[in-house]
Amino acid sequence: MKVNFSKVNKSFISSFTRKKVHAVIDLDLSIQTGEIFGIIGPNGAGKSTLLKMLLGFIRQGSGSISIEGKSPIEPETRINMGYLPENPYYYDHLSAEDLMKFSAKTAGMKKEDIQPSINHLLELMNLEHARKRHLRTYSKGMTQRAGICFALVHDPDLIIFDEPMSGLDPLGRKLVVDLVLDLKQKGKTIIFCSHILDDIERLCDRMAIMDKGRLKKTLNREQLLEGKNKFVTEDGEKGNNWLEQIFIDTVDSGVRE
Amino acid sequence: MNRIFALSWLTFKEGIRDRALMGICIIALVMLFATIVFTGVFGYDLGKVLVDLNLSTIAFAGLLLTFFVNINLMAKDIDKRTIYCVLSKPLSRTEYILGKYLGLILLVCIALFFLLVFSSGIIAIVKSMYSEIFFKNFSWYCFFQAYFYQMLMFFILNAVVIFFSSVSTSSFLVLLFTIATYITGQTIEEVMVFFKKEALGQNTSAVNHWVIDIAQYIFPNFSAFDIKTLASHGKFLPLEHTTALVGYSLIYTILLLFFASMIFNKREIT
Repeated sequence: MKVNFSKVNKSFISSFTRKKVHAVIDLDLSIQTGEIFGIIGPNGAGKSTLLKMLLGFIRQGSGSISIEGKSPIEPETRINMGYLPENPYYYDHLSAEDLMKFSAKTAGMKKEDIQPSINHLLELMNLEHARKRHLRTYSKGMTQRAGICFALVHDPDLIIFDEPMSGLDPLGRKLVVDLVLDLKQKGKTIIFCSHILDDIERLCDRMAIMDKGRLKKTLNREQLLEGKNKFVTEDGEKGNNWLEQIFIDTVDSGVRE
Repeated sequence: MNRIFALSWLTFKEGIRDRALMGICIIALVMLFATIVFTGVFGYDLGKVLVDLNLSTIAFAGLLLTFFVNINLMAKDIDKRTIYCVLSKPLSRTEYILGKYLGLILLVCIALFFLLVFSSGIIAIVKSMYSEIFFKNFSWYCFFQAYFYQMLMFFILNAVVIFFSSVSTSSFLVLLFTIATYITGQTIEEVMVFFKKEALGQNTSAVNHWVIDIAQYIFPNFSAFDIKTLASHGKFLPLEHTTALVGYSLIYTILLLFFASMIFNKREIT
């Protein structure tokens, strides 16, 4: 699914001081079908606002957003989308299975396809044993994995992950990495927000650095690899922390602007 | 439509497993049991006391359920951001409002029906314990009619919850506004009568009349649904009255949900 942002602006008015806060400024971005696109940026860079606009939670002030040519405000656009929010919180008294059934039904899945899909994902995310347990008894990592199941049960073509690794142990992180790579093999488009630069570097075909609402830089895999190979740290180490350096330089240049 | 039902089922399931609901039901059951003892304390008109106590207990449980479980079910979506997960699905905002409302109503219907069954059992037991003379005016039809009227009131009150939840992001404010609307709705008729009669010979200002006139059109008249006293005296209301109240409740609920949906469609989920 192709995603397009064209001259998108979004600002909020602070409820107390009535001051206008620009969350996203003149955003032009195109994400291609089958691409894993990573978005990084410091807190308050506008990443979450961007995702919320993409999901139709908030409307852009100006400019246009399209997903396969459709507006994100239309509910039908979201049939083929899956979303994992940052620090997901689900209904306390429901089980992962209840939640996934809801997700599958609202996406219009055929009745006979629902249970096999639930079983497959729960097994894949190692939640088979806890499928009937209430979500309030889940650990943070389990909730995160249940959220991934909820986002993927209807086999969407566009997947939006906001900090998918947050709260996961190394085993959980490996599960998610394998899953993302598997989804890429299937030709899914994935938008991936993370503060963990290693994950972005490892998984993404392209990445963007955002700061103060602006898109500061985009890099593709070739540029990433090329830069990494050329980069030598002050200690003489090659390649390591290259993305971190790029991130800091980009954000720092913004501070100086 | 399937999406609305899926959300209402999800809301109902979340509500039915809530411990607060269990607590409310236990309190109501204890109160209903207590009517066996309390009714015996009165030496006359036991039927009247019995119907009054039973209907009051059901109404009390319904109010607790609406104020503390249903408002929480609505507010939690915003407070804890579960709404992100729900609205990331292909649900329109209107479908969200309708799905949530149906879920809340289903919860109220099931919980209060359970109490009705239990209450009917209690009434049957008490009736078998005393002579028929004490139950001269007792009528099952009146009892069920009063219960039905209470349900109509809860249909509107839960639409009020949905309406205020679409306006406010704070569960406390939703609770406050809903309680205020309930109290106003219960008393508006009395206030109106007072003003029209210019009771106690006092002159009331034109502004007061004007405010009351507007308020009576804005706030639902909940006292019209409260026929406990009539039911306890074995007096039933004609079918035309019931039809009119069903219509009133339906129109009010539809209007509230319509405005809630309109406001919620404009709202930004941040």
